Amino acid sequence: MNLDIGIMVSKLGSGMLTSFWIFCFTLLLSIPLGLVIAFGRMSHNAVLRTITKAYISIMRGTPLMLQLMLVYFGPFYIFHVSISPGYRYTAVCIGFVLNYAAYFAEIYRSGIESMPVGQYEAAKVLGYSKAQTFFYIILPQVVKRILPTITNEVITLIKDTSLAFVIGVTEMFTNAKALASGMSSVMPYLGAGIFYYVFNFVVAFVMEKLEKKLNYYR
Amino acid sequence: MKKSFAGILILGSVMLALTGCGKESTDSSSSGPADKNTFTVGFDQDFPPMGFMDEDGEFTGFDLELAAETAKRMGLTIKYQPVSWDSKDMELKSGTIDCIWNGFTMNGRENAYAWSRPYMENDQVFVVRKGSEISALSDLSGKTVEVQADSSAEAALKDKQELTASFGQYQTVPDYLTALMDLESGAADAIAMDNVVASYQIKTTKKDFVILDDPITAEEYGIGFAKDNTKLRDEVQKALDDIAADGTAKKISEKWFGKDITTIEKEQGEN
Repeated sequence: MNLDIGIMVSKLGSGMLTSFWIFCFTLLLSIPLGLVIAFGRMSHNAVLRTITKAYISIMRGTPLMLQLMLVYFGPFYIFHVSISPGYRYTAVCIGFVLNYAAYFAEIYRSGIESMPVGQYEAAKVLGYSKAQTFFYIILPQVVKRILPTITNEVITLIKDTSLAFVIGVTEMFTNAKALASGMSSVMPYLGAGIFYYVFNFVVAFVMEKLEKKLNYYR
Repeated sequence: MKKSFAGILILGSVMLALTGCGKESTDSSSSGPADKNTFTVGFDQDFPPMGFMDEDGEFTGFDLELAAETAKRMGLTIKYQPVSWDSKDMELKSGTIDCIWNGFTMNGRENAYAWSRPYMENDQVFVVRKGSEISALSDLSGKTVEVQADSSAEAALKDKQELTASFGQYQTVPDYLTALMDLESGAADAIAMDNVVASYQIKTTKKDFVILDDPITAEEYGIGFAKDNTKLRDEVQKALDDIAADGTAKKISEKWFGKDITTIEKEQGEN
């Protein structure tokens, strides 16, 4: 059996598309959700703070693979709700968003808490409300500070999509494995590596541009 | 900056609404295996020649072809669902797949599923490099032996404590390809696996492997359904009997193995 490069690329490409969608949904939903969790984590309300702290602790303390299985099989095995085959895609999105939001929350917190108290005091003197202070003064600076860390997470995310097959979602690495075993060749793995690398190269490039663009005070 | 961030927030919540609610509603409408007209076959996609991805990037294999023919005769649309082999039971019980049809060994799992009648015989065997000093089970002493996680070879070896205790190293790997690569590279000295799969691998890849004459166990392949789903099991069995009776099963077997190695009709004779 000889490996046809064209077919390999198209198969990996279609898998990459699945990976890409997981990537997009996760980022779009977990970035705002992470901010909400970060607020909870820094809240003066002890109950809220404890809950979010426990949430972050569990999400970071258990493997994403386990969380995906729990989100997918949990409804049936815990609540006895029958799950439809299409649910696996929803489950992947939910699992990734919940997990990544926890990490993003801590990144936001590190950024927000690094801001000097003097800025809040100055804003208060100038008559800014709490919300105004946060959205006009604090957040724009926080975003600049945390961007390199965010880039780290984003790059990890695309590689983590390979975990989706644990609940039967055929993303790129699954296709690479299938091609490899069907043809008894390691070429598809090499191809998969190139796909991941190129994608992450683009991500890193875009993030670097963004960092430069936000660097307007220096 | 703040505008684009607010944009992301809004877009995010809109997406949440769309994906969350949209998918939830379709889920509830299509739940339950009873009202659908598809036949979803769960299989390990890294398992040639029973179910795998061919050089055209399509799912194919002996079992999948047989399953497709069965579905056709039952008037159902076939759906191939590759599953993570470790999660196959959870997939089956939760109803996301209708059956496991994938060189699925019945022996040792008799009570775990509603089984079809066996359709093929298989041995669990050891594969070694050609020209290696291993020619019998006793030669495996002190060697590195690999087996696929949760496979029937692993189950068969569980009953052979004495043999596994003699291995130098007994290693579990996620799939056969990894094991075969290890065997070729020298990281492993022998692999325990299905004879049907091993023979096909050796034939198609022309690698210098040989199968030891002494099998670990003899066993049979069947189609596994959820325990409470005997209705579907019986329907599939009926279609399968038809396929065997008119010679289609023989044709599919000859295509994949060069000869008819199915046992559907023989089983029928015995009953």
